[in-house]
Amino acid sequence: MPTAAETTIVQARNLQKSFKRDSFEVKALDDVSIDIAEGEFLALMGPSGSGKTTLLNMIAAIDRPTGGELLVMGENIFRLSDQQSAKWRNEKIGYIFQSFNLIPVLTAFENVELPLLLTKLNKQERRDHVLTALKLVGLEDRVHHLPKQLSGGQEQRVAIARAIVTDPQILLADEPTGDLDSHSAAEVLEIMTRLNQDAKKTVVMVTHDPHAAAYAHLTRHLEKGMLLPA
Amino acid sequence: MTLLHFVGKNALRNHRRSAMTVLSIGFSLLLLTFLVSLWHAFYQDAGPPDDALRLLTRHRVSLSFLLPAYYRERIRKVPGVVAVVPWNWIGNHYKDDKPEHFFAQYATDPDEVFQVVSDWTIPPDQLRAWQQDVSGAAVERRLAAAQGWKLGDHLFLQKNLYPVDLELTVRAIYDAPPEASALLFNWKTLEAGNTFLRDKTDTFLLRVDAPASVPAVEAGIDTQFRNAPAPTRTETQKAFQLDFLNSLGNIKAFIIAIAAAVGFAILLVSGNTMAMTVRERTREVAVLRTIGFPRRMILGLFLGEAVTLALVGGMLGILGARWLIAGVAASPQLTLFAGFFRRARVTLPTVLFGLLVAACVGLLSGLVPAYRAARMNIVAGLRHIG
Repeated sequence: MPTAAETTIVQARNLQKSFKRDSFEVKALDDVSIDIAEGEFLALMGPSGSGKTTLLNMIAAIDRPTGGELLVMGENIFRLSDQQSAKWRNEKIGYIFQSFNLIPVLTAFENVELPLLLTKLNKQERRDHVLTALKLVGLEDRVHHLPKQLSGGQEQRVAIARAIVTDPQILLADEPTGDLDSHSAAEVLEIMTRLNQDAKKTVVMVTHDPHAAAYAHLTRHLEKGMLLPA
Repeated sequence: MTLLHFVGKNALRNHRRSAMTVLSIGFSLLLLTFLVSLWHAFYQDAGPPDDALRLLTRHRVSLSFLLPAYYRERIRKVPGVVAVVPWNWIGNHYKDDKPEHFFAQYATDPDEVFQVVSDWTIPPDQLRAWQQDVSGAAVERRLAAAQGWKLGDHLFLQKNLYPVDLELTVRAIYDAPPEASALLFNWKTLEAGNTFLRDKTDTFLLRVDAPASVPAVEAGIDTQFRNAPAPTRTETQKAFQLDFLNSLGNIKAFIIAIAAAVGFAILLVSGNTMAMTVRERTREVAVLRTIGFPRRMILGLFLGEAVTLALVGGMLGILGARWLIAGVAASPQLTLFAGFFRRARVTLPTVLFGLLVAACVGLLSGLVPAYRAARMNIVAGLRHIG
């Protein structure tokens, strides 16, 4: 738990998520309460189906709990309309996927530019932001490459650039190194560490990999939808 | 990059499928534009101003019944009639049965016909030469060029509908609108060759002094011959052609039915394409939603993509229809309906109508898939394997 001096950026209380599969009720999250401090680098670990990604998706406001309360940056994000929550995600959240999820017909530059198309920035401002983001991940020389012309590690770095281009406060990463070789994984984790330390981003990373979790300040484990004691 | 640029890139993502969709929509729009242009030519285009001054008188019952030649002078006496000539369609063969050698031939009176068709032009010396040679012929300039005729050429037109061979000499070359391309010759030549046709014609072509006189002239002529052995029907050239056309069946219903079927078919084709597109991009949609694209923007992206493809197809189809209409109009096989087809044009309102139809097809076909994409559950979309 953060100390009083630390600002809590995510505050979950008794979060529950259950759904029906055939005649069984499955609890993806079972009474999860957690506080994440601003500037934290938190790793969420646990076996498959333990609820890690569900918790991450709730913080990103792309999934809704069936019970409990979640405040992100002091806001009850589930009270926002679709339009408002989309805007909120665009401004406050950077999401990094396991399988990169770049748009195959867009170049690295255009992929990174996508979130900025929703802002009021003009073309030159967007260009500056995109080039800065690509430079931060060391891909300033790959701006016109299509995803298929990049290695897996480079694709994930473009995905990170896309996640940070709007300068969000929270970076959510769902198994960001799951599809990468160890060298590329280390590069990606170095970048995320830099973003946490230098750019003061709060990072929440879901991972199976203890090596990846070692980059985090704090690791929490989930099992069968429950958060194990720290 | 702009959102429009993004829409364009998505529309062209699957080259083969986009091309097939564009071609399907294009072909359908080609048919639709062609039909609309024909509709316009058939039922809306008034034609050149002089057409409104020209009437045709025929047998009330059928074209297969001929009118006596003496009707001509009685028609002339109807107030408002400026000039009247026999106008007998002859379908003789030239050289062979090949379509390129088929053209309209009319037996008429060289002394008066250019008073009826006074908007056509003929050099005075050539008109005199035609009038002085009973076996002379006047040929429309494009027809002469197509057949390679020049003044003084001898033509042999073999009997077909009427049992009379014609040996004619080209004495004049006149200029007329494309739909009036024909060979004219002296009706006395026809009479001389066959007693059945003596003092008879299938129609009279006449000119009235003003468009306002048309109803009175039509009524005046037809009333005069109502109880005669050969009752008449007088109408404008266009009405005459439409009557002829309608004898083939309900052309309006035919055109509407085909247009509706074409519209429905392209809706299905385009709808299927968009449904496949959305299904394939389920995960991408979820990613876009995750990075902040609101539902209405997802809806707009997919609708924009559907409309873009439909409009590209529509433009190709409209261009194709222009080409098709020009090709059909230039076809030597056109005879009976040459007037309509050669008058058919892809007008600006037709182009706009075609583009509107294409845009509507895009919107309607994209609506359901785009709505589904916009309403997609983000988490389920991210899990989608496709």
